[in-house]
Amino acid sequence: MNDAIHMIGVYTKTIMKSWFQYKVDAVLRSLAVFLRESTGIIVVYFTLLKFDTLNGWNINEMLFLFSLLFVTYGILILFFTGLRDFSGTVRSGNFDRFILRPRGLLFQIIFVNADWFAAIGHGGLGILLFVLSAGKVGVVWTPANIIYYLFAIAGGVLIQGAIFLFLATLNIYLLETGSLKEVFYWNARKFAGYPISIFHKVIQAGMIYVVPFAFVNYFPAQFLLRKEDMAAYPEIYLYLTPVVGVGMYLLAYLFWRVSLKHYKSSGN
Amino acid sequence: MSGKEGYIEVKNVSKRFKVNKRANGIPGMIANMFRPKFEYKHAVNDISFSIKQGEMIGFIGPNGAGKSTTIKMLSGILYPDSGEIVVNGYKPYEDRKEYVGNIGVVFGQKSQLQWDLPVIDSFELLKAIYRIPEDKYKKNLERFTEMLDMSGFINQPVRQLSLGQRMRADIVAALLHSPQIVFFDEPTIGVDVVGKETIRNFIRELNKEDNITMIFTTHDMQDIEKVCDRLIIIDKGSKIYDGKLLGIREKYGTTRQLDVEFVENYDVAPIEKVTIQELDELDGRKKRFIFENREVQIDELMNTLLSGYAIRDINISEPEIESLIRKIYNGEVS
Repeated sequence: MNDAIHMIGVYTKTIMKSWFQYKVDAVLRSLAVFLRESTGIIVVYFTLLKFDTLNGWNINEMLFLFSLLFVTYGILILFFTGLRDFSGTVRSGNFDRFILRPRGLLFQIIFVNADWFAAIGHGGLGILLFVLSAGKVGVVWTPANIIYYLFAIAGGVLIQGAIFLFLATLNIYLLETGSLKEVFYWNARKFAGYPISIFHKVIQAGMIYVVPFAFVNYFPAQFLLRKEDMAAYPEIYLYLTPVVGVGMYLLAYLFWRVSLKHYKSSGN
Repeated sequence: MSGKEGYIEVKNVSKRFKVNKRANGIPGMIANMFRPKFEYKHAVNDISFSIKQGEMIGFIGPNGAGKSTTIKMLSGILYPDSGEIVVNGYKPYEDRKEYVGNIGVVFGQKSQLQWDLPVIDSFELLKAIYRIPEDKYKKNLERFTEMLDMSGFINQPVRQLSLGQRMRADIVAALLHSPQIVFFDEPTIGVDVVGKETIRNFIRELNKEDNITMIFTTHDMQDIEKVCDRLIIIDKGSKIYDGKLLGIREKYGTTRQLDVEFVENYDVAPIEKVTIQELDELDGRKKRFIFENREVQIDELMNTLLSGYAIRDINISEPEIESLIRKIYNGEVS
């Protein structure tokens, strides 16, 4: 255990050192991510000003919904950048190198790479949105709500981590999964910016049961906000985020373990 | 020094790859999930060999022969489809974590150093990864740095190094944890003549002093001739030669060539089973006679020539190892 923590420390130090070889670029990168993601929010903001509410959700509640997405993503890429970029790792032959080192494979994938500056950009935006909206959406931050919120964040991170791990594992079979990730992660995430109740039933089902982004932000937000459109879904869903997160991650991990035997390396 | 027999045992190992023929785009990908179309390609086909501890093996073959696949199975990156590999009591692909602490791998084409950081930082990282004790790390680092003359660039970022310097640093990186077996996959590729020589001498010395077992793949015959005791040649996934380097000549080098400088430009009469070539030298007075030493008695050939023509100079030569191996690759000899 101590040894693992020491190793994580050394990896993190190395990542930091590499980044700070290019200080200006590193800072600009955080800023660029922040601005890029903000643009999307600003568009929604001004659109909503015209409509007032969206299926009962006002602008602040929408920003709160968004904040969960960004906060979880910020944490997500501190831990799962390596899985996000795994197809590159396989193609470049770096995964072969991981296999040749006496450390856990997932351990190496997770801790060798962390996109700190994108994390600052995404997480910073998430925190800003949270600060802007949390006071205005009528949530009373009781200890119970705070604990719920923290569990929901952890669960949301795990759900997305599991999606990354699942797609990374598919790489072992397909070598390239960029388009799958585009569809199953990034497009699904775009839907998740809105209350899922505004969508067609099929999309709602997809967001709950296939790529369960609804558990990353919609249901946790509903727990705290209790909007009327929640009536369409079972009450229990409000509490399931951590369970879905852990369950999905375990499944993805199992799939990963089974698939390693089929690893084909990248040739040269 | 001599070591254990059967240190590395490879028994009837095969590896085939499923080559997926798939249509493009997302519809193609989805169609492919339900109805995959596959082809099988044998990368390695029923290979067996045994290596003694401390041996220095040249492992060669043309591109696509299955060298890399074999190295990857030996180092635990790939699972064999059938057959068995046991290295020093470990099955590489099953006991990965324990096994890889005992081996070092140098991929000439793929550095394991941190591109943006000074060389020494990569070494420090490896020290943590392999849990190398401080004193052993210091000792190894000092020794290798001196042997490979690296003190001048150990504090430079890897991206600023020449290819030869980078390769030396990569070799040290693979050796810091004192592995008992080292795989070199084209360790001299792209390195200049002097650099190659430095690397070869270092490898030779290390093999002798530390009795490290080494397996070497390369396309550079000089590497093999200067470094390796034993040669394993594979082609199209099968082993086609396994033995001493010099044994190649005995087995395949049966062609001889006799260059003769005549006093005049004679019209030499055809001789049975001998190919005669005119050389564009000395106004056609020099001719080359090529024959198989199993089919033609050299003394008879000499007699024929000496009795028929006046001769000024004569030179007989065996083929170069390099050209023999090229012929083996091309399937010209069997």
